[in-house]
Amino acid sequence: MEEVPIIDMKGIVKIYPDGTKALKGVDFSVKQGEIHGLLGENGAGKTTLMKILSGMLPPTEGKIYVKGREVQFKSPADALANGIGMVHQHFTLVEVFDALHNIILGMEGHGHFSKIDVDNARKKLQKLMDELNFQVPLDVPVENLPVGVQQRIEILKVLYRNVDVLILDEPTAVLTPIEVKELFDVLRTLKEQGKTIIFISHKLREVMEITDRVTVLRKGEVIGTVNTSEATPQLLARMMVGRDVVLRIQKPPKEPGEPILRVENLWVKGDRGEDAVKGLSFEVRAGEIFGIAGVEGNGQTELIEAITGLRKIEKGKIILNGKDITGRPPKELYNLGVAHIPEDRTHMGLILDMTVAENAVLGLHWREEFTGILNSIRWSNVKEHAKKLIEKFDIVAPGVDAPVKSLSGGNQQKLIVAREVSKNPELIVASQPTRGVDVASTEYIRNYLVKLRNENKAVLLVSADLDEVLQLSDRMAIMYEGQFVGIVKPEEVTEEQIGLMMGGIKDES
Amino acid sequence: MKADKLSNIMKPLLESLIAIIIGVVIGAVVLKVSGYSPVEAYAALVKGAVGSIYGWSMTLSSATPIILTGLTFAISARTGIFNIGAEGTVYFGAIAAIVFTNMFANPVLGLIGGIIAGILWALPAALLKVYRGVHEVISTIMLNWIAFYTALYLVLGPLANPNDPNKTLEVPASARLPLLMKGSELSLAFIIAIVAAVITYYILWHTVLGFELRASGYNERAAQYGGINPKRAIIWSFVIGGIMSGLAGATEVMGRPPSYAISQGMANIYGYGFDGIGVSLVGRNHPIGIIFSGIFFGALKAGATYMQIDAGVPLEMVKVVQGIIVVAVAVPGLWDLVKKVVRR
Ligand SMILES: Nc1ncnc2c1ncn2[C@@H]1O[C@H](COP(=O)(O)OP(=O)(O)OP(=O)(O)O)[C@@H](O)[C@H]1O
Ligand SMILES: [Mg+2]
Repeated sequence: MEEVPIIDMKGIVKIYPDGTKALKGVDFSVKQGEIHGLLGENGAGKTTLMKILSGMLPPTEGKIYVKGREVQFKSPADALANGIGMVHQHFTLVEVFDALHNIILGMEGHGHFSKIDVDNARKKLQKLMDELNFQVPLDVPVENLPVGVQQRIEILKVLYRNVDVLILDEPTAVLTPIEVKELFDVLRTLKEQGKTIIFISHKLREVMEITDRVTVLRKGEVIGTVNTSEATPQLLARMMVGRDVVLRIQKPPKEPGEPILRVENLWVKGDRGEDAVKGLSFEVRAGEIFGIAGVEGNGQTELIEAITGLRKIEKGKIILNGKDITGRPPKELYNLGVAHIPEDRTHMGLILDMTVAENAVLGLHWREEFTGILNSIRWSNVKEHAKKLIEKFDIVAPGVDAPVKSLSGGNQQKLIVAREVSKNPELIVASQPTRGVDVASTEYIRNYLVKLRNENKAVLLVSADLDEVLQLSDRMAIMYEGQFVGIVKPEEVTEEQIGLMMGGIKDES
Repeated sequence: MKADKLSNIMKPLLESLIAIIIGVVIGAVVLKVSGYSPVEAYAALVKGAVGSIYGWSMTLSSATPIILTGLTFAISARTGIFNIGAEGTVYFGAIAAIVFTNMFANPVLGLIGGIIAGILWALPAALLKVYRGVHEVISTIMLNWIAFYTALYLVLGPLANPNDPNKTLEVPASARLPLLMKGSELSLAFIIAIVAAVITYYILWHTVLGFELRASGYNERAAQYGGINPKRAIIWSFVIGGIMSGLAGATEVMGRPPSYAISQGMANIYGYGFDGIGVSLVGRNHPIGIIFSGIFFGALKAGATYMQIDAGVPLEMVKVVQGIIVVAVAVPGLWDLVKKVVRR
């Protein structure tokens, strides 16, 4: 007789108010104490299913059983009371609070934090962090912490509530390889403690490494559940997409041309006034992908923002096609042929409350094709443009008039990429271009960047995903504390050498 | 998708309706407890506001200035700022209109005077915000007081009417806005307010400028990324808002019989800026919604007189009941706004 699953979801249907049928009768069950992977293309319904399990969304139809007992969640608090907690794809922390207050916020009995409550909470949290070997600074406002640490706070916030089932929606998308390793250590410890974990990721390698079983969703339906030990990445990819996926990109050799972007002795400050970029000089040539690897928080963000006109330049020069563009505003840069895929899609790349169509022209909305007399907007052309992007990049969206926040995370990312390449740029600055994007679309986006390179455009790529930088770059720099430790050709270095360089150690041999 | 659009309109409409009913019921309880007949009082209110052509004309003429000041608040809210400086701007719009019409005896130039004054008085807060980071709520409140006393000085001093101690110089007959109905207070001003609302709607949703205003209102950082200059957006939103409030003041003195001037204590132009905030919230900061909520507020104003006369409810009580209804109706809009602010 098989044991009773800790989670059993039966016939779950979810129809969103706008009519989108996100889940079409999903059966999903999780065994006590396992790490269960949830895979699927962008828009397959993973987040939706997990939001239902964590009480964030009501199902349209279907039943949920916890340890064999039927439950109905009216709110996340109900789910927590049943031992189920979720860490969301897009963070939900209050940015001006420190970790401690974020974690105890909304806890029962902490309506108004008395000193004693807070002190007790601090002790309890410290114990939890020590047990798991998973530390975060408790007293720094969250907004001043790197994303990797924010992620940990989100996880601690859920664990602090004593859950048995921890749901992690794409937790590794924002993490560096080292942070991923640390997270996996924690997950293994939790598993030893008897916790059950549901893990969503688009990175098959991670799923293969950490999970015991995997369930694959496609377009709101379950394709199947397999034991990880019996699966291969190829099999999982085929289950997700419905056909074989070539996990390779074609990159013919190419002689780069003239420099398109030249950065000379660039100094940029970070948000706290510290020197984040310290005298960088480099160039990106036509027909070249120049990659920047490095642990996040070593000045990459500030460098990109300075190049794209979003951050003040303290010293140095930026030259585009021979023209000095130092300190010019984004609009002028765009008109000179710069495109920018920003790392933060929800706060910068998109305006979540505006529609898909409006977002599809953000940053090119002033172009002649979209405007008429008296600077009016020609909505028909805007919508036409949005439809083209949706088609070309295979974006799952209910329609061009839907608010962009109703798109799944990966589809939001694809919309940004589609919009930026539609600018037909000379230089494209791509920061984490495939973050949160499914396997097939990742390959599509990567191949697209290569295509731009083949068309003699310049590509500046920043990614926390080392594989991505290695695969795509013609030349790559490793950034550490605001400087380049070195500029190398990917084929001439080993992963070990790069690992050392990412730690700031230069191998001279 | 069609269904979605419909529910987008229906939901606020339904909320507003429920809010009106709740407000009316609470108001009735208050009336009852205070010893007045709620039925009689409300009957008088409705009759006075919409029971006759004349009632309608009073309702619409009362709606005119608060539609315009409502637009001021709405366009700022859409840009993510809280411009509550309409009040002071109205005074200067009215004063400029009196000065211009007395100089040129021409209605068009009178309106232009109001617009110019509105723009000029909107700029200090805009520039303080953009270049000095002064929060607009603070600056506009202070500017309102400066405007009040400056205007009071002008009304009592340089602009005082030598022939009538109770008011300022009048707008000359040749510069007055034509009445839409003989013997009423309803003039072309109402049409101007409607046109202004339609233009505001058009700007917000059908021009590049409006796109940029809304984008910076939702998310300044993303707007900046999108090649938009949020500072420029803020200045524009103040300028357009200033135009609307300036017009409110100008049309009030040029198109509202019998006085065609500012009364001595400025009673006839006082409070429209503040009413506008309520009008805008009830209209969900949407120009077309503001037309309807402006008329609703206008009806409450017009009907109040009758509640006093026909039902014998004292003016203070009328104000209390009005206040209850307004607060109840404004709550959903206010709630939306608070959510938006908290989210940042
Ligand atoms: N609030 C919403 N309103 C309408 N439709 C929505 C809403 N949220 C999600 N959807 C739709 O439901 C479907 C499933 O979305 P979901 O976010 O669950 O996908 P996902 O599998 O998590 O994708 P991703 O890997 O991109 O995060 C998508 O088609 C999406 O557009
Ligand atoms: Mg998702």
